Amino acid sequence: METTPTRNENGTSGSTRRNILGAGALMGTLGLLTACTTPPGGSTAGGGSGGGGGGGAEGSAEFTDAVKKLVNGRTLQVGFTPPVLSEYYTQMENAAFTRMAQLEDLYGVQWKWEKSSPTGNFNAVEQQISTVQTWTSRKFDIVFICTGANFATMQGVYKNAMDAGTSIFQFNQPVELYPIDQINTVSNIGYDNRWQSGYVAGKFIADTLKGKGKIVQIMGPSGSDWTKARLIGFNQAMAENPGIEVVGTADGGYLRDKGLSAAQDLLTRHRDINAIYGENEDMALGASQAVDAAGLKQWDGSEGIVIVGADGLLSGMEAIRNGKLTASVDVNSVDNAIRMIDTAFQSVVLKNYVPKISNITTHLVTKDNVDAHAAYINGIMDPAKKY
Amino acid sequence: MSSFLNTPSLGYRVEGLLAKPGSGLVALLVLFIIAMTFVAPSFLSFGNWENIANQAVFVLLLALGMTIVLIARGIDLSVGSVMGLSAGVAAFLINQGLIFPLALLAGIGCGLICGLLNALMITKLGLPDFVATLAMLGVARGVLFLWTEGTPFTRYMTPEYRLVGGQVKLGGIITIPIIVAVVLCILVSLMLRKSLIGRHLYAVGGSPDAARLSGISVSAVKTFAYVVSGGCAGLAGVILAGRATNVAPTLGTGYEILAITAAIIGGAALTGGQGRMVGAILGALTITLIANAMNIAGVTSEWQQVVTGIILLLAILLDRITAYFKKRQTSAEIEQSPQQEPTPATAPRRAIS
Amino acid sequence: MSIFQRSSRVLAIDGAAVSIVFLIMCAYFAIASPYFLSPDNIHNTFVESVSAVLLAAGLTFVLISGGIDLSIGSNIGLSAAMTLFASMNGAPTVLALLAGVATGLIFGLVNGAFIAGLGVSDFIVTLATLSVGAGVLQVFSASTQLTGTADSSFLALARGEVAGIPTGVLIAVVILFVLEIALIKTPFGRTIYAVGINPNAAYLAAVSVRRTKFLVFVISGIVAGIGGVLLASHLNSVQPGLGGGYELTAIAGCVVGGVALAGGRGSIWRAALGAFFLSVLSRGLQLIGVDPLWFSIVTGAAIVAAVAFDRGAQKWLQSTLRPVSPVAAAATQNAQ
Repeated sequence: METTPTRNENGTSGSTRRNILGAGALMGTLGLLTACTTPPGGSTAGGGSGGGGGGGAEGSAEFTDAVKKLVNGRTLQVGFTPPVLSEYYTQMENAAFTRMAQLEDLYGVQWKWEKSSPTGNFNAVEQQISTVQTWTSRKFDIVFICTGANFATMQGVYKNAMDAGTSIFQFNQPVELYPIDQINTVSNIGYDNRWQSGYVAGKFIADTLKGKGKIVQIMGPSGSDWTKARLIGFNQAMAENPGIEVVGTADGGYLRDKGLSAAQDLLTRHRDINAIYGENEDMALGASQAVDAAGLKQWDGSEGIVIVGADGLLSGMEAIRNGKLTASVDVNSVDNAIRMIDTAFQSVVLKNYVPKISNITTHLVTKDNVDAHAAYINGIMDPAKKY
Repeated sequence: MSSFLNTPSLGYRVEGLLAKPGSGLVALLVLFIIAMTFVAPSFLSFGNWENIANQAVFVLLLALGMTIVLIARGIDLSVGSVMGLSAGVAAFLINQGLIFPLALLAGIGCGLICGLLNALMITKLGLPDFVATLAMLGVARGVLFLWTEGTPFTRYMTPEYRLVGGQVKLGGIITIPIIVAVVLCILVSLMLRKSLIGRHLYAVGGSPDAARLSGISVSAVKTFAYVVSGGCAGLAGVILAGRATNVAPTLGTGYEILAITAAIIGGAALTGGQGRMVGAILGALTITLIANAMNIAGVTSEWQQVVTGIILLLAILLDRITAYFKKRQTSAEIEQSPQQEPTPATAPRRAIS
Repeated sequence: MSIFQRSSRVLAIDGAAVSIVFLIMCAYFAIASPYFLSPDNIHNTFVESVSAVLLAAGLTFVLISGGIDLSIGSNIGLSAAMTLFASMNGAPTVLALLAGVATGLIFGLVNGAFIAGLGVSDFIVTLATLSVGAGVLQVFSASTQLTGTADSSFLALARGEVAGIPTGVLIAVVILFVLEIALIKTPFGRTIYAVGINPNAAYLAAVSVRRTKFLVFVISGIVAGIGGVLLASHLNSVQPGLGGGYELTAIAGCVVGGVALAGGRGSIWRAALGAFFLSVLSRGLQLIGVDPLWFSIVTGAAIVAAVAFDRGAQKWLQSTLRPVSPVAAAATQNAQ
């Protein structure tokens, strides 16, 4: 990633920053730095930055200066490696840039950002292992990783990296499935896929259908930890609602066209279903097309087929707005990234003790609240600086 | 492939029979369909066959191009990526305000250009087909990733595109993708069986040296094959963009293996000189049918892979058994013709035309 | 002319052109990144490329005979699973190793039986076994957590060190050596080339084409099985998708090294070099920090450049070794 300083301190970026912090306060998620850095004066740090360094409560300037001294203009070499390149991780990257620019502004910390991700035919495991290894050889300070590789496979790689002085942070990783004492990372930022994603979708479907109906599932490629974890939660919701019956499951490969084909096949046998659960938004949107093509009616608030996805992409929110998706579980790309940057900053620069598992909030997005959630993401899509 | 058999003369004989898209495959499909009706009666419904046809179009289009390349003793690994890139071109240009037909043509043109580049790498640089098209697989995918920056192209869907993508039936009867596929099948069939270039394709694939000695320009024929394959991928791409309603950078991933599989199930061979249009249809249908049936039957995705593999092996076995019986029945007849080079002349008349 | 003669003599060495491209690439990476030649990176590069190199080496037998084996991807994954499963359940290292190799052998036997026995398309058969193998691995790992063994002697297979060299690398080198001898120095090896060049002629020369076909798939299966054992020992865990896509990387490695897909041409060391080339390329690009969006484009271009150079060098060789007019030689020289 080139470090092209597209820094233009104009009104737009300033308002974006205020917007973000305002939104963060609204959502109650941005308090991490303030909550954990230093108890006294911490709560005002955010306020201080909101004014762009001016104004703010007494003590904030002092705090900022003190932290600035600790930072001492340090440059952090950061590596970011998601399992694929996708809209979700693009949103995360923009949110991370937004937060990094804020911290740079406030405390003078410099960032060097590099992204690497498996593309094409190269196997994810080998490539991400070698990515972490090369970054370790290059003495990176921080590696953010989310990987489809086996939990046990990665722990040895992480240990070697940490021993060599590179701090590893996992994001968006279903660590709830792993034994916590065996995780060799500094911290894991994400959400609990069982109760904050799978269960939410299942419960929403059950509630919407008033506890009675038939559903089909379009799942990702089998064997992934996300799928496993989300299913645990989804099945729990099903167990709590015995009137809901899962009548079919198919593999949609996380892709829209495959989700469409899978949904068409399922609808052939089960035309009388009441809901479709797509494990991600693209597959749910494919299912939505299949419902239209089959001449069936989508949920209009009182009847039709309920279609639920999960991700929290801007494109998915647009679909919700247009009535093509009933609901989606937004697993909060923005806070995931902001928390990730904050945690790393605190741990690596300020040497604070950060929680091993740090879960952010997730949201159920429906037509009623889609505007707020879309605006929250839009607020970070144009960061003050790209790294 | 004759090389697998212990006696060359037997090899030629069986090869002639094998070149006919397996009657074993047809038998297996019939058995399979009967079995499925017990699992789910709706499998036989008209709606489901419509679905299967609409789903099979993409693999079929790619398999047609692939068959032509395989006949000419090549292989095109790039079709999946080229399909994705062509879809990206069409979607992007529509978003830029280009009129719809031109955007589609540009998408198809992108496929043709990629095919031409493949051909140039192979004929001018002397690269092995596998290497050149593998590189194109990487490059086309990479360009789409760079271009989309990892975020799908959206908002290009227009009512016309819904029609082209097969989401709306033309006159409420049949979808455009199916019409396109049928037309292309007829064209390819005519080209392979009636035209000079068709005969040259088989000649080059059968023996490049012999073809060269008889005055055929091998590189021109190969270039033709790769350009057609690229064009088919481009066409499949612009239609897929209309079906998927967004162009994710991963669109079309893995289709190359499906296309090669379909072509080879249908009787084409990596060793060249064999393959027919009907085979591509049968192959594409088999692949789509298996996936459709397993989704309907509720086979979990872990087991789907196992079952797919076993069905492939069964199809091969059945093909061998029918070939064995046919060989016994017709061996005398075959003995009279010295060579069973599968040329267009041997293509049965029941081909769609 | 003497420079031409000298350089043509160098290029005439088997695999020299690819080696030259490889060395140029390494030199570039070494200049562009100070970490490329660091002991850590060299160690990791060798250790991580063991499975790719082994797969390519085993596959070379099949390719030279004019066939193709796609099943090696799920073969290596399933073999790794079986060997680790055995070790986790208390099997001694030798037995665990045998479990992995036997899994590979079964793949080879099934492929060989269908392809040589029934004479059907190797592409479809090995695609089918690839699919079945991947599915079995999925089903198997859904019920069993393959998260590691405590058996230190099993782990030492790939992780140990002899004189500073990782045992996995040593084992791989020994296997490569044995395979090269088998291919180049034995009558059996020569029959593989004969079958690949012209099966009909080979048959007329009293070579059992069927037996040769069968054996190359068995060899490919066994070598992939060994690769699986080393991979399991190295990773000490197996995930459901392990090995997915390895077959394409292995084929690409072979072809980059100069093994012909059409059969009859290639050697173990060239295949190993090609696979290692791709491995180093991938790591090198990461070391110098190439944007992942550019990754597949650069990789594709590099493969084309390497193979085109190899082809160009061969053409040039043919023209210089043949008695040609100085004008024509100069023209060819210019064309390079």
